[in-house]
Amino acid sequence: MTRRTRVRIDMTPMVDVAFLLLIFFMSTTQFRPPETVAVDLPLSQSEIHVPETGTIILTMNQTGQVFISSETGRDIQELAPDNVLEAIVNWRSRNPGAVVVVKTDRDAPFGAMADLMDTLGHAKTLRFNLMTDLAKEPAAARHTAAAPVQERTDG
Amino acid sequence: MADVSTPDSGAKPARATGILGRAQKKRPGIRIDMTPMVDVAFLLLIFFMVTTVFRRPLAMEVNLPEPDAKVEVPESNVVTVFVDREEDLFVKVGKGGIEPITWADLTPTLQANAAANPNLIVLVKIHREARYEPMVDLMDTLEDAKMERFSLIAMNERDQEALEAAP
Repeated sequence: MTRRTRVRIDMTPMVDVAFLLLIFFMSTTQFRPPETVAVDLPLSQSEIHVPETGTIILTMNQTGQVFISSETGRDIQELAPDNVLEAIVNWRSRNPGAVVVVKTDRDAPFGAMADLMDTLGHAKTLRFNLMTDLAKEPAAARHTAAAPVQERTDG
Repeated sequence: MADVSTPDSGAKPARATGILGRAQKKRPGIRIDMTPMVDVAFLLLIFFMVTTVFRRPLAMEVNLPEPDAKVEVPESNVVTVFVDREEDLFVKVGKGGIEPITWADLTPTLQANAAANPNLIVLVKIHREARYEPMVDLMDTLEDAKMERFSLIAMNERDQEALEAAP
């Protein structure tokens, strides 16, 4: 009978690395807050990043309703059309350094968006960001007949 | 495999002898099976790797003019891009007529006009019942054409009538 040498693999370094990665991912993960308002963003080739903190987010859904929240989205509240100006002024005075980000659904009516931008102008918020998703190709290519129609992600 | 074991837990059960030759008490080797813990660790690792989103949302920057600012511009210096309710594009160069245009032709047309007239101003007029998406697409196109200054307004009734009269 031939004696077989037993193979022992020391798994300690691998487990060490695994734990390191685990700790890294656990500490860096930020869970996306549950989205109370479903918004399908328009595509653009702009690559400007929205700051992670210190933002006031104005959300407009598909039907043109306006919501206001901070970047966490937990304090989201719906705004009646007459209250939009007042709410923007209030939120801006509470955190003057905040960047205003407008998150509008790509199927929202342009009229509602034009009104919102008008209101922002009257609230002396002349600089703001429009949140977009990254597009792989320029707008002209997206509009050619051959391009498939973008599916909505929220069903 | 993933075991913690004390040194004397090896295969040899040989009796160790102390300095004085007395037989020492045999200590049982402690073996902790780490496999379940490592399993869980890897599961968590995979979970966090899959759910982590490094991507931050992107945005376009918009600078509005003062709300009541008025700038008088001669009509010949204006290129107007119309988007009607059906989201078809029309363009009106200077004092010319309104003509339909495709998305693919828009950038070259704008660039040709900008090259011919350095004082050119782009006016974007979108129907209120059109969607928001063509506005972003137009902003994208204009940025591509290096025309970052443009006016954006909702169409009024006169524009709509003019559009309907156009071919």
